[in-house]
Amino acid sequence: MSEYTVVGQTVARVDAVEKVTGAAQYGADIHPPGMLYGKIVRSKHAHANIRSIDTSEAEKLPGVRAIITQDDVPSGRRVFATDKVLYLGEPLAAVAATDPDIAEEAAERIKIDYEVLPVVQDVMEAIKPSAPRLHGDDTKDGPNRREISGQIRTLSRDKENDHSDEISKLEAGLEAYPDEVYYNISAESHTEAGDVEKGFAESDVVVEDTYVIPRVHQTYMEPHVSVASADSSGKITVWASTQGPFAIRSGIAGTLGIPLTQINVIGTTMGGGFGGRFGVIITHVPAVLLSQKTGRPVRVQMTREEEFTDGRPAPGCVIKLKTGATNDGRILAREALAFWDSGSVSGASIGSTIRVRGVYKIPNLKVDAYGVHTNKSGTAAYRAPGAPQAIFAGESQLDEIAERIGMDPVKFRLMNMREEGDEVPAGGSEPKVGYKETLEAVADAAGWWDREADENQGWGVAVGDWTNGCGPGGVYVSVHEDGSARIFHGSMDITGTDTAISQIIAEILTVPYESVTIRRGDTDSAPYSTGSGGSVVTFTMGNTAKLAAEDAHRRILELASERLNTNVDDLELKDGAVHIISAEQPKSISLGELAAYSLSTTGGPIVGKGSFARQASTPALAAQIAKVEVDPGTGRTRVLKLVASQDVGFAINPMAVEGQIEGGTVQGYAWAMMEEMQYGDEGNINPGFVDYRVPTSADLPTVESVIVEVPAPNGPYGAKGVGEPPITPTLATMANAVKDAIGIRITELPIKPEKVVDALKSNGR
Amino acid sequence: MKSFEFYEPTTLAEASRLFAEEHAQLLAGGTDIIIGMKALTETPQSVVSLQKIPGLDGITTDGDSINIGAMTTVREVELSGDVQQHHTALAEGASEIGSIQIRNLATIGGNIAHASPAADTVAGLLVADAQVDIASADGERSVPIDELFTGPGQTVLTPGEIITRFRLPSPASGSHYIKHKIREVMDLAFIGVAAAINMDNGTITDARIGLAAVAPTPIRATEAEDLLKGNAPTPELLEQAGEAAAAGCSPISDLRCSAEHRREMVDVLTRRTLQYALERASA
Repeated sequence: MSEYTVVGQTVARVDAVEKVTGAAQYGADIHPPGMLYGKIVRSKHAHANIRSIDTSEAEKLPGVRAIITQDDVPSGRRVFATDKVLYLGEPLAAVAATDPDIAEEAAERIKIDYEVLPVVQDVMEAIKPSAPRLHGDDTKDGPNRREISGQIRTLSRDKENDHSDEISKLEAGLEAYPDEVYYNISAESHTEAGDVEKGFAESDVVVEDTYVIPRVHQTYMEPHVSVASADSSGKITVWASTQGPFAIRSGIAGTLGIPLTQINVIGTTMGGGFGGRFGVIITHVPAVLLSQKTGRPVRVQMTREEEFTDGRPAPGCVIKLKTGATNDGRILAREALAFWDSGSVSGASIGSTIRVRGVYKIPNLKVDAYGVHTNKSGTAAYRAPGAPQAIFAGESQLDEIAERIGMDPVKFRLMNMREEGDEVPAGGSEPKVGYKETLEAVADAAGWWDREADENQGWGVAVGDWTNGCGPGGVYVSVHEDGSARIFHGSMDITGTDTAISQIIAEILTVPYESVTIRRGDTDSAPYSTGSGGSVVTFTMGNTAKLAAEDAHRRILELASERLNTNVDDLELKDGAVHIISAEQPKSISLGELAAYSLSTTGGPIVGKGSFARQASTPALAAQIAKVEVDPGTGRTRVLKLVASQDVGFAINPMAVEGQIEGGTVQGYAWAMMEEMQYGDEGNINPGFVDYRVPTSADLPTVESVIVEVPAPNGPYGAKGVGEPPITPTLATMANAVKDAIGIRITELPIKPEKVVDALKSNGR
Repeated sequence: MKSFEFYEPTTLAEASRLFAEEHAQLLAGGTDIIIGMKALTETPQSVVSLQKIPGLDGITTDGDSINIGAMTTVREVELSGDVQQHHTALAEGASEIGSIQIRNLATIGGNIAHASPAADTVAGLLVADAQVDIASADGERSVPIDELFTGPGQTVLTPGEIITRFRLPSPASGSHYIKHKIREVMDLAFIGVAAAINMDNGTITDARIGLAAVAPTPIRATEAEDLLKGNAPTPELLEQAGEAAAAGCSPISDLRCSAEHRREMVDVLTRRTLQYALERASA
């Protein structure tokens, strides 16, 4: 890619200095004069009727400035629970006080009279007729009750690999289920292509299993925080730690019935998001309500414990999967039945169950997915929402098939992978994709073809696919008299996206990267920008930045043609100056001179505008190989090698791309091996980093990243979204490696030492 | 955090008097109490710091005996050449606590006085036969470490009594500590097992096994120890010792793992830690 000088190069991030020096302003750094401290009053039970809320004792406490409940929400939109709570930590009221300790004390003094109700935390229990109903309506045609057909009711599994009593019990419970109805259903999704029954009948090998994936938290370092300030004119300013300031603006406006133009959202530097930082109600709306009531700025900041009880984590799920293939390695049919743990509200990414189709030619596919209510907080996006769960099931089972037919797992995948023009099961046809290239790249880099393993060591491979999102954005670029360029936009920087935008502008304006600066506006000043999630930013804002730079480029040539008395077609912008192409006497004028000249022209200063909404994006593959060693005595698994390749289309900043690959892979590893939100009858029981384990750098060797570049036709310079794909295959990569090491398939995550020891025992080892 | 009175006495007598008051708590390194106060699981009305009292920290030797001041940081314990050489299990246990930053603050006295059955230094102190020196306004006394604990978070300490020192009288020729955990570092012990061995001419003359997080208090696996003493180490003997240690504990099931798993790990890890301790004793 030597045709470019700035894109495709590793450059220092634009925010490196402010982050390293501590100058970056995070939400909790915002402290307007007179600010009050907000505290949310939360349910102490996972399921209860609320008889009364008595705030009188709290109101007497000196320093308390406001206490609000649902009665204080003029729009009537649900912000606080009123007559019933559905999970531990559900907000019931909020307090503002002059001091955080007073706010906390006041929150404790609010008396809530609960009538405690039975709790259901397990999706397979929640669908039974005996389960407590979370959302009253239990009539035959009620929204939370679904009739089902007999054929998908029976969860069967391959007895040869039967190691988990727990799963067996779940299934026994379901098989004994007498009704034809699922209860506590929040949503459903059904997809069918071909005829799976026919496909299974024609298969030589059919494997069935049930996969259980836990609910996990995004564990961004910075807890949710917002500071809201309502002035006497009714204008509201919100400093929000969010991935999408414009979404927060419209969310607050919609929830509280306030005109959009009355709200200005200022996005503060984000301490991680991973999809979990789009929520409007969690802190922003209570902060606004408290500020409106007190006339003072109010900060509402969650503790880590509150993050676990009232964050919006990734849904866990139970997936029953069945795959049929021929002895010569062709996959003929796949059928999935999934129950997603949606928590108290709908919203789990059940549509992602379709990802069990993977990147393979599967002529017959059937996918049925249900969202199920349980007494937990709602869920939200987490890095490729729903894909890691579905792909864990799909890629685990693929290895079982490969083993039955005696085929190498990489060769089996390569043989079945789709290429350009192939039909996507229930989804059109493939554009140009790099599936095979990406898998081959990781196999070569990891030394798969001549791999060796000692006793208790094993190798695992898996692939995961994802397609980046795309959304609207706007960018302005100005060129100044000193030849520097300034970018102005409104999208939140995650993972170095401001850096990539700056590189693109520098590339087109042919100026050094260092002479480009970038400034983010708030929602009052900046053009609209889509939220920074869904691997969307570099694709969207990169395209937008290109348009803005090209617009500026046009104006630059226009100015130069005036200045040099030459036709625009004879001019070229190169190395920060405009040159006359093939002039007999070489002549040029610098960008700085042109910018200075522009100030006294009719046409005016150099301002490029980019406005962009949508382009088709292209699927990307992540392929990973792990080598592990399992200690059969303690069940602990050590990763010896972890190699991750990814088709990124084009790496605008290769080091930043590698950072994304490493980060996603490590999060996938953590989900596979240790992360798990645990629940008891009183709600989440591990709401902190002592018993919710995220890995440290001591748990893993350096992830070896392999960048594959199969350009996306509509991406800037061919770039694809890189943030989400790397988490998608790792759950299965780890399970497949553990299977290879100990000969036992673990289908229930995380693969904790106890689970491995028990599996070895029940297999007589 | 609730508001509280903060005292920084400069003598043990004054500290003891303040600590004897109702709802008083001691502050040593602060790595447990401050977290508890922030989470409102600890709501002391007064906090008595030990940090201004001279003479409570440092590691000294007195003949064979190694004395560790209660205010010695666990990082100092971990890095002490004397502890590493003569009470390796204790140094290894200290190295398992939290992060280096935490270990630079946390004290061995705090780790023990907190009386968590899962404390990482406790198994090493058990197999060192440590004596715990205790002071109060009324005087001083000393109790063996295996008589200090009465339950989770509970000790024989009476109001106003402060741990001042651990005396480790008899070095073992080989000792070792293993912690069962999920994460490589910065994890709490699912269980902890320490062993200390003395050998003479191929025969085990003394064997001590300390177990953490497998009973309401840290315990010695005395039946396993008795099996070992006076015998030559064989794989069969270590297997029997592991089984005896597992049989002698009374673990609970909690969110970390089941009682059954803890018991199985006592068996596996007792064998392993004995093996390492034997190798060190024979080296």
